[in-house]
Amino acid sequence: MTIRVDEQPSAALVTEEELAKEARRKELISRWFWRILSYVVVLGLWEFVSGRVLEEALLPGPIRVVQTFGDIWATGKMPSAFQATLTRIVIGFGLSFIIGAVIGIISQNKWWEAFFKDAVIIGLTAPGLIWALITAIIFGNRWYGPVIAIILTTFALVTVNVSEGVKAIPKDLMDMGRAFKVPLLEQNRHIVIPHLAPFLFTGLRFGFSIAWKVTVLTEVFSSSEGIGFEMRTSSQLFQMDEFLTWILAFFLFALFLEKVVLQAFERRYFSWRREVTSA
Amino acid sequence: MTTVAEPLSARQPKKTKQDNTLLRIVKSPKFARLLFPIAVLVVWYASIEIIRAIWPFAVDVLPTPTETVSAMWDELIDPFVEGTQAATRENLYATFARSLGRLGLGFAISMVLGTIIGLAMGLSKAADAFFHDWTMALLAMPALAWALFGSLVFGFGTAGPVFTVVAAGIPFVIINVREGVRNTPIELFDMARAFGVPQNRTTRHVLLPSLMPFMFAAVRYAFSIGWKGLVIAEVFGGQNGAGWTIKFWYDAHRAHAVVGYAFFFIIFALFLEKFVFDRMAERVFKWRPSAVEIVEEGFEDQSDLVESARADYGAIGAATALTEIGIVRESEQDG
Repeated sequence: MTIRVDEQPSAALVTEEELAKEARRKELISRWFWRILSYVVVLGLWEFVSGRVLEEALLPGPIRVVQTFGDIWATGKMPSAFQATLTRIVIGFGLSFIIGAVIGIISQNKWWEAFFKDAVIIGLTAPGLIWALITAIIFGNRWYGPVIAIILTTFALVTVNVSEGVKAIPKDLMDMGRAFKVPLLEQNRHIVIPHLAPFLFTGLRFGFSIAWKVTVLTEVFSSSEGIGFEMRTSSQLFQMDEFLTWILAFFLFALFLEKVVLQAFERRYFSWRREVTSA
Repeated sequence: MTTVAEPLSARQPKKTKQDNTLLRIVKSPKFARLLFPIAVLVVWYASIEIIRAIWPFAVDVLPTPTETVSAMWDELIDPFVEGTQAATRENLYATFARSLGRLGLGFAISMVLGTIIGLAMGLSKAADAFFHDWTMALLAMPALAWALFGSLVFGFGTAGPVFTVVAAGIPFVIINVREGVRNTPIELFDMARAFGVPQNRTTRHVLLPSLMPFMFAAVRYAFSIGWKGLVIAEVFGGQNGAGWTIKFWYDAHRAHAVVGYAFFFIIFALFLEKFVFDRMAERVFKWRPSAVEIVEEGFEDQSDLVESARADYGAIGAATALTEIGIVRESEQDG
């Protein structure tokens, strides 16, 4: 009797679970169906338009672009272009991240916050183009021109993220630190920085995605290597297939950095707070 | 004894009080804010002097503040000296009017298309799956790619820059509208249905107010990202406009004019932020009870937005929302 009572709900539970699983599976299938359909429709439309609506010289189809991608890859030009761009980003954005984070952290103080307020507002609103042009005209094609342009364009984004984090710092911990006369440096090391880590990371990811775009722009004006330079060259030579290939390469690389590198980084350094985030 | 002590004690606090007022002025945030442009000017002059001392050839290239200001002044008074028909290029006002027109056109197109796609994505899972990856692809594209592509396909003129504004701004509209639709309170809709409220009143009083913060974020984003894309597009595919003019000075190798024109860019963007969008925000959010609640509610909305945007779009989407928080904070401080 007890067994039968026990059996009945468990059987019902199984079917319920199965139903839920079935529904989830159906949803997944429909999602993937629409997703694949979108690729088919967009790429098909692109292939159809090229050569029929627009001339092929103006808009080469996806098949042609993939072929050109293979050709350019075979020449070995691509890795060196990526290396040049990436070096510039790492130096420029590395410095920008440090500067932005420091400004964000010292903005705990009202005086410094007010001091840097206009700098941050201008950094957020000014187009990257003006920094690219100004540094190009002043520094020519020396390596630090683009670096300065990257810093000026991205530091404010890091600062905004960090100062948001600073405003949300647990006050009780800071009060306790002050009550027990913990030195300012120690307070920053043990309370502020660990608390800021996720905000710093958001700043890192967002700043990086902007730094990436600005770097390509500076390369157009003041560089003779890198992805931006290759885009400019191929568009000046009216090689649309090469131009689209470089865009594709840019896109794939950005996707790789975003999905693989940064997420691995996040998993590694935030593994200690996994439980918190899942709860 | 007491007579000696009294003037002393009377003098003492008076002196410290004077010190305090000076100290209070120096320590006040307003003073710090005023100090910043002065510090910039000092650093600007000092770095020019230092570079001149080390490397005398740089003299002609480096723009001094006085040269920059006089270049800006020349631009400002242009129409009164030469008339509106300049031989080589349009004056400052015509240039910015033209750019603003292009920005407005591109912005309108991206708002309409983006709202339609965003609504579809928020309401239907199939549409969401269909457009999701391509929206992400649009987000990751640099404006430079659109600018060059537009200049090649559409030639020099208006179409290329407008195309760039649309392509750069539309993903932000789509994301914000989609999040807005997803965040509409379902309970309120259920209640409206239970009490037999007619459809148009539900739309007017439930859907629109809850969509408003997201639409507003969409407008702000499409506009500022569109503006940044537009100037790049005008550099490569324009025959006039703000981006074209700064490139004109760049090609003429007039560093001070380039810096001066860059200041106009900054002033233009700040003007839009302060006088157009902040005013608009006040008007749009008038129905909300009080200033404090605006900020708080804004935060709640936005933190939800941050979470869901981060889940779906990675860094760029999350930061879209985060920077929006920054703007809410700014207006809180000013108000």
